[in-house]
Amino acid sequence: MTHSKSDDNSVLLVHAYLDGELDPANALGIAQRMNQEPALAAEAERIKALQQLIHERLPRETTPPGLAARIEASIGGTKRQHARPSWRAMAASIAVTAMLASGSTWLVVGSQQQPIMVADALVADHIRGLMATEPVDVVSSDRHTVKPWFNGRIPNSPRVVDLGKEDFPLIGGRIDVVGQTPVSTLVYRRAKHMISLTAVPADSHFELGRVPKSVNGYNVVHWTENGLTYWAISDLEVKELEDFAHLFRTSQTEL
Amino acid sequence: MSITSLPVRTGAIKSEGPTMRLVAPGAQDPIGGLDDNARFRNVVMPHIDEAYRLAHWITGNRSDAEDVVQDASLRAFRAIREFAGGSPRSWVLSIVRNTAYSWLRKNRPATVVTVEDLEAVELEQSSPDNTNSVTPEAALIAKVDAERLHAAIAALPSPFRETLVLRDVEGLDYREIAEATDVPIGTVMSRLARARRRLVTIISG
Repeated sequence: MTHSKSDDNSVLLVHAYLDGELDPANALGIAQRMNQEPALAAEAERIKALQQLIHERLPRETTPPGLAARIEASIGGTKRQHARPSWRAMAASIAVTAMLASGSTWLVVGSQQQPIMVADALVADHIRGLMATEPVDVVSSDRHTVKPWFNGRIPNSPRVVDLGKEDFPLIGGRIDVVGQTPVSTLVYRRAKHMISLTAVPADSHFELGRVPKSVNGYNVVHWTENGLTYWAISDLEVKELEDFAHLFRTSQTEL
Repeated sequence: MSITSLPVRTGAIKSEGPTMRLVAPGAQDPIGGLDDNARFRNVVMPHIDEAYRLAHWITGNRSDAEDVVQDASLRAFRAIREFAGGSPRSWVLSIVRNTAYSWLRKNRPATVVTVEDLEAVELEQSSPDNTNSVTPEAALIAKVDAERLHAAIAALPSPFRETLVLRDVEGLDYREIAEATDVPIGTVMSRLARARRRLVTIISG
């Protein structure tokens, strides 16, 4: 079983890759193996087909009306104060809805035949960030902490600016993967809205595909500077997201 | 088989403890300083729909699922002070899951998966999947209708079913599933892969 063990592990890695659970180095590794090994590529195609099938066809049970009220009553709360969901819960439920409503999410994994739609992929990463326990891998509002974190993880670390004074505090950063390329994402916050700002090399092989103003209800603003295309994704109003983009673009870069 | 060393992002990064915790408004201390009822509303009530759907997948019918969710809610309420942060959704779903299985043992003993059954499943997991067995084309999968899909998921052994449902229906990440089902991430990974393979085989068979 020594032979099949490594095979089993590669299969698990294919699943984890499609589920967005791998770090960039391992994602690259398994993506390359999927290109070389038809069995792994076929497994990936089956997983994607199955996920799409579940996503499109599987009926979802609706909670019986009144169940929530009966539960609240049973724990003795006579006050019917409406539950105010936590930030995290709200983000999660929004994200679940968006995932369910999204047909394009599956394009993230970009098979060989399909050009990768950068905007779709980044919206999916944004949603994944909202759903994850943490939307970032490095938590800091200090750009002097966030920027160095990217050094050594990806070839060119992004410009990190502090917009806290403008009410767009920096939350931290993470590495997203578009197709097979790790890219840097900064996460900012406006009130309860998260903004994912991703820098993608402008000369990369990505087809821009369609460049929509919004994907599944998430607004998308992008611009190019110094060889990088910046993508800002958020459920903020377009106007506010454009304000954010403007502030970021016109801010001084220094570190 | 040894899979615990697989490099999974969620496990690798997020297990470092409270220092990595995101600080955001409303999440800083979502329940501190609140009475039990308010804590319950903040932690449990936002997840009632997911709780009900999971209970439905485990019990297989609406009225049992409703009983389970009511029962689980009471348990969660009594334990609300034990919730110490982390993912409220995983915490709630883990209570629902435990309640559902003990409820089934008590009320539907015929349907219960015993520990021996679970071990048999684990044993089966550890045997290498025969890659020469049915490996249907993706195109074939796309043609399956809703009824067949639902029946096939319902027919999966419960450890596989709950893992698949939490990931592919409810969208939990691996770490949340590990918390909700009380197994290591490596087990989540192998169960998920086996569940998907079985499902693909059943629906296209």
